[in-house]
Amino acid sequence: MTFQREMKAHFIKKIIFLSLVAVIIPVTIACQKEKEEAREETGITTLHFVTWKPNQPGAWEEILRIFHEENPDIKVVREIGPHSSSAFHDLLTQKLKNKSQDVDVFLMDVIWPPEFAAAGWAMPLDDRFPHTEQETFLKSTIMANTHDGSIYGIPFFIDSGVFYYRKDLLEKYHFSPPKTWEQMARQISKIVPGETKLGIEIYGFSGQFKQYEGLVCDMMEYILSNNGLILDPETGKSALSEKPAIEAVRFVRDRIIGSSAPIGVLTYQEPESLDLFIQGKTVFHRNWPYAWEIANNPEHSRIVGKVGITKLPYFRGGKSVSTLGGWQVGISNYSNKKGAAWKFARFLTSPRIQKLYSIKTGKAPARKELYNDPEILQNNPHFAEMKDVFLAAYPRPRSPLYPAISNILQRYFSKAISDSDSDIEKEAKEASEEIDKILSLTE
Amino acid sequence: MRLSVIAREKIFAVSLIIPSILFVTVFAFYPLLYSFYLSLHRIILGLPGLGQPFIWFENYRELFADRIALHAMINTFLFVFLSTFFEILFGLCIALVINQHFRGRGVVRAAVLVPWAIPTVVSSQMWRFIFHDKYGLVNYAIYGSQVSHYKAWLADPVFAFSAIVVADVWKTSSFAGLLILAGLQMIPDELYEAARIDGASAWQQFKKITLPLIRPALLIALLFRTMDAFRVFDLVFVMTQGGPADATNVLQFYGYKKIFAEGLMGYGSTISVLVFVITLFISLAYIRVLGTRLFEERI
Repeated sequence: MTFQREMKAHFIKKIIFLSLVAVIIPVTIACQKEKEEAREETGITTLHFVTWKPNQPGAWEEILRIFHEENPDIKVVREIGPHSSSAFHDLLTQKLKNKSQDVDVFLMDVIWPPEFAAAGWAMPLDDRFPHTEQETFLKSTIMANTHDGSIYGIPFFIDSGVFYYRKDLLEKYHFSPPKTWEQMARQISKIVPGETKLGIEIYGFSGQFKQYEGLVCDMMEYILSNNGLILDPETGKSALSEKPAIEAVRFVRDRIIGSSAPIGVLTYQEPESLDLFIQGKTVFHRNWPYAWEIANNPEHSRIVGKVGITKLPYFRGGKSVSTLGGWQVGISNYSNKKGAAWKFARFLTSPRIQKLYSIKTGKAPARKELYNDPEILQNNPHFAEMKDVFLAAYPRPRSPLYPAISNILQRYFSKAISDSDSDIEKEAKEASEEIDKILSLTE
Repeated sequence: MRLSVIAREKIFAVSLIIPSILFVTVFAFYPLLYSFYLSLHRIILGLPGLGQPFIWFENYRELFADRIALHAMINTFLFVFLSTFFEILFGLCIALVINQHFRGRGVVRAAVLVPWAIPTVVSSQMWRFIFHDKYGLVNYAIYGSQVSHYKAWLADPVFAFSAIVVADVWKTSSFAGLLILAGLQMIPDELYEAARIDGASAWQQFKKITLPLIRPALLIALLFRTMDAFRVFDLVFVMTQGGPADATNVLQFYGYKKIFAEGLMGYGSTISVLVFVITLFISLAYIRVLGTRLFEERI
C-alpha cells in the first residue's frame, strides 16, 4: 500500500508539473504576441514578406535597407522559402489556405495569379493599380496578372527563354549563331567531334528536361516554334496531338536528348544545366536571362567574355518563341495591414527599385521604360537586342487549375523524350484527354 | 463513502490510460477520419466556386480508373518488395557480425547505425550526388577518368528506380539489423555450447538454432520495414521528383502532388486513404501470422 501511495504522490507531482508546462507555454507565447502588438501600437507596422531564397542576396538586403530608411514606421520581416518555384508554391499556398497572418506580401510566379485569384488568396488591386498605371508595364506581364477582368499582382521582373552560345567556338568553326534547331544540331555535329579530337570534353547543348515545371517551359518553346500549340485558344482544348506538336516533341527525343545534349539533361533543372555551360562543357545553352550575369562572372564561370546571347532557334517555317516567366508582387487577402503592404509592393515594383534590381542581378525589368535606360543597357547590353524577345514572350496556359495541367504536361513530355521507343502519338492522345478533363471542370 | 480497493485501482488505471487515448485520438484517429471525410467530397482549391459537394465514392471510382495511380501503385509495391528483401538480408548480415565478440565492437555497432541516424532528406541529397552524371562517385568508381563513358543513372527509368532502392537499403538495413540483433542476444549461449559438443558445424548451428530463434525478430523487422517502405516519399521527392517518365512515381508522392501542388484535396485524400487501407491490411496479415507464432514460442 505504501508503495502505491508513493506512486500516487509521484503521479500527482507529474500531473502538476505537466499542467504547469501546459499553462506556461501558451502564456509565454501570448506574452510574445502582446509584445509584438505593443510595438505596433508605438507606430511600427510589421509586414511579413514571403519570398524565395535569392541567387544574389545582396540586392535584396540593399532594397530592404532603402525601404526601411524611407519608411521608419514599417518593418519588413522576410520569410525566406525554397528556391524552386514548385516547392515555394506548396509552402505559400499552404499558408494562404490556412488564412495565415504571417503573410502580407508575397512573390508570385507568372503562372499563379489565376489560381490565387480564383481561390481568393490574392487581393484584387484594381482600385490602387489603375489601367493607366498598368500600361507602363510590358503587356504580357499585365495579362498574366489579370483574371476575370481584375488584376491581382504587380509585375516585378520578367523572364523569357533565351539562347546562349560560345562565341569563340562558333568563330573557330566559321558558323553564325543558328537560326533553326536543325542548324543547331548540324553545327553541333561539326563542333563537338572537332573539339573532342583535341581532347576537350564538350557536349552540344544543355537545357532543362527533368520532370518538373521547367520541362513545360522548354518543351513549349519547341512546340510553338514549330507553329504548334499546347492549348488551342479557339476550341479551348489540348492541341498536343496535332502534327506540329508531335513533330517538335519527336525532334527533342531524337535530335536533342542523348545526341545534341548529354542524356543527363533529363535530370537537369536550371542550375545543373547552367553549370555545364559555364564550365565550358557545352556549345549552346537555353536558360533565362539571369544566366548572363553568372556566365560573365569570373568567380563562377570559365567562359567569361566568350558568351553570346540571342533569340531561341525555331523550326523551318516557324518563328522563335520564348516562354514567359517572371515574378509578381501580390498582397494576401487575409492581411490586416493592407495599407502598409501596398506601400511595400508599390516600392518593390517602382522604376528605381526595378532598375537597381536589374543592374545587380541581370534580371529583365517588367517596366517598359527601363529598356531605354542607359545605365541598365550599359550593364546588360543585350537588353536592347532582346527587348523584342521579352515583349513577345509567350505565357503558359492560364487557368486556376494550371498546376494540374502542368503535372500532366510534365509527365507526358518526360515519357515522350526519355524513352527512344516511346509512342509519342499515344502518349499525346492520353495527355490530351486528361487535360481536356481538367479543363472541363473550370467550365 | 469509501470505494473498494479494486474500484480505486480501476480509477487510477483509467486516469493513466486517458492521456495516451487522447493522444492517439487527436493525432491518429482524427486525421484519419478527416481524410476519409475529405475523400468523399470534391474539393478543388483553385475552384472555390464549386463548393465542396458530397460525391459519395466518386473519387474512389476515379482512382481505380486512374492509370497513373495504378502505375504508381505498381512502383510502390515493387519498391516495398525489393527494398524490404535486401534490408532484411543485409540487416541479418549486420546483426550476425555485430553480435560477435571482437575488439572495437562498440565502434562498429555505432558506425553501422550512422546511415539510419541521418535524416532521409540529407541522405537522399547525398545519393543524388553519388549518382550524378558528371561528378558522381558511382561513375568515378566504375569508369574512372573515362569521362565520356559516364552514365546518367537518374535519367534512366530502370536505373533511377534502382537508385532509390539502393538509397533506402543503405539507410535502413542497419535498423533491421538492430531489431535482429535484439533477437540474437536473446539466444542463450548454452544452446551453441551444447551444439558444439554434439559436433554441429557453424552452418548447422545457424540453421538449427539461430534462424528459428530469431524468427520473431525477423518478422518484426519485416513488418516495420514493409510498412515504412510503403510510405516512401522523401527519397523520391529529393532524388527524382517522380521522374524520369514517372518511373519513380510512388503513391505517397502522387498523393502529395495532388493535394499540395494541384490543390485537389478530395482526390488526394482518397489516395492517402488507399495507402492507409493497404498498410492496415499488410499489418493485419503480419499480426495474424506473427501474433500467433510469437505466442506459441513464448509457451
